[in-house]
Amino acid sequence: MIENGPLLERLLEGEFICAVTDEHSFHKLQKPQLVEDLNHFLRPLNRRVAKSEDGSVYFLAYCDLNQHARHQLSQQFNATVQSLLPMLEWMQLVQEAMGRDGALGAGDTIKLQDFESKVVDNQSLIQRLAHLSNDKLFKSTSDKSDMQIKQVFKRIKELGYLYQPHKDRLFYIVTGKVEQLIELVRFIKDEENVPIDDDAPEQEAMF
Amino acid sequence: MSTSGEPIRNAKSGAQSNPLFQLGKERLELIGKHADTLMQGYLQGHIDESSFTQQALDKLINGRILWRPDEQHPLCLRPNVNELIAGLTQDERKRQINSDVGEHLDLIHTRVQSLQAARQKGDYAASEHHLQLLTERVHDMTGQFGDAIESLWHRLNTEFGFVSSLDDKILEIELAQRQLRRVLDGFKIINFDDLIQLAGSDGTLRKLLVSQLQARISEHSGSLFEVQKRLILLMARFRHQQERALLVNRMSAFLRQHPNFKVGDYPNRSHVPGVINQAHGIHAQGFIALDRPQDSYALAELARAIPRSLTPPLHSEKQTQGFDTGIQDLVATEQKQLAKDVEDFFLQVIDTTNALSGIEYLAEKELSWEPEMWLFQIVAEYEGLPQQNKNSFILKKDSARKSAFNHLHIIKDISLGMRFFGDFQAVG
Repeated sequence: MIENGPLLERLLEGEFICAVTDEHSFHKLQKPQLVEDLNHFLRPLNRRVAKSEDGSVYFLAYCDLNQHARHQLSQQFNATVQSLLPMLEWMQLVQEAMGRDGALGAGDTIKLQDFESKVVDNQSLIQRLAHLSNDKLFKSTSDKSDMQIKQVFKRIKELGYLYQPHKDRLFYIVTGKVEQLIELVRFIKDEENVPIDDDAPEQEAMF
Repeated sequence: MSTSGEPIRNAKSGAQSNPLFQLGKERLELIGKHADTLMQGYLQGHIDESSFTQQALDKLINGRILWRPDEQHPLCLRPNVNELIAGLTQDERKRQINSDVGEHLDLIHTRVQSLQAARQKGDYAASEHHLQLLTERVHDMTGQFGDAIESLWHRLNTEFGFVSSLDDKILEIELAQRQLRRVLDGFKIINFDDLIQLAGSDGTLRKLLVSQLQARISEHSGSLFEVQKRLILLMARFRHQQERALLVNRMSAFLRQHPNFKVGDYPNRSHVPGVINQAHGIHAQGFIALDRPQDSYALAELARAIPRSLTPPLHSEKQTQGFDTGIQDLVATEQKQLAKDVEDFFLQVIDTTNALSGIEYLAEKELSWEPEMWLFQIVAEYEGLPQQNKNSFILKKDSARKSAFNHLHIIKDISLGMRFFGDFQAVG
């Protein structure tokens, strides 16, 4: 168990472990025996190892949903819901600027320089970036695109959705936490009966 | 497309005397000569007639390289030239999969009959010729399957990179799946019982038509099933991506249109959905503890390893506040010098392990300051340091009571040293 100390600590600190952030630990967590051992240790702390539905990311969840746990979950859930629209808009922005037609997923790489050069070439992307970076999730005060981009990516990295392999290189990899966000979106859509399934696709072209 | 042959073996006698040899060579050369413009035509879908002389155009048309599909249409490459280029360049946009097996089998039957007739007549040369044609035909058929499979693999391995949008990729996969099914259907037409009968007791024919062919076909089928499996996986992945993109786009559009959209209070429901159950982070902190003697060495090592700042921010205008600056203009330079000398003293302290005496230092450096002023400035400098730098030093005042009647203490000397864990030796 000693050798799993660092992993345990990172999980306890609220980190999400996926193949991008820590491939080695990610593979270790796929072993049921280890998860069982960790859970045994985590039990007094009211925590257990959980994973996203598609198994692409591991994190800690509460075992017992007592008052304290629910209070924490409420705060967190509210924060996530608040940040949902800016996060989705960011994903769309990256997707469009980089000319992809699939949504961003774990393992996708983004070179900030490439992204920036694509954005500044396009007036509508510049405006959308400016609007997005102004959101209270990102709180950019700059009116320069490059600073806005840096701020937005820095914040998303802080939120755990991006991983920066080299501190001084502006090169990011999307983490497995994005999968968890997508699952949440899907959950909200189903649970709240958000009427978007049969919407005409033309509608989104307006934006 | 049975142009492949064996030109080397009977080079002199057979092949070169064949009138086909000269004609084929001419036409291949014609293609080579106009490679640039023909490739342009391949990519554009039609030929720019102005880049050829009329004579060259006639040659290319007569050479069955170019044709005009109808009167209004510009000249373009003949289908088999297009196909040749697509095959050579693995250009999956234009590469065709030919899964027609029936014709091959028909021709194989005919060739076998001709071969057997020639053998019965004892015409050795003719039977050799028919055997060669038959071998080619069988190879053409298996080669055609091989090409089809290679093309499918190539498209798979490049993840259909020759089309850019996800929708197109999904259409391409559907196309590939249909092609694959046609090739598999083609395999079913090959009836080995018929071929065994056809070959009869002839060893060469049996080998060619039965054992070799069977081995190739089973190898190809294995490969095709693998392709089929991979195509399904890739399709699932593309569909998944497509679904995600739609979800992201539509949900964000919805949220923009409904800024007051309220999500349910899931954390306080009796059943809390798994997707929102994420424990908040706890930071387990540890501190330096000296209650275990066996740790003290390690801790001291750590303390020594803490990098000392080489140029402590000692120099600051504020530090001279405690000094009397009544006649500022006059003393300003003097005071600066004093501050600088004190700073040097501090640097000296940092550089030595033992504590230093202020008075001794004054004498040693032969500085002209009054001892009282000197000591006062050291104290002022020390007090003016930021707290964390201050903690790095230990300042001891060597003072004595002036008289028995009051509590006035006169500072005689000051010793200043660096603070280390455990090994500061205070002086005096």
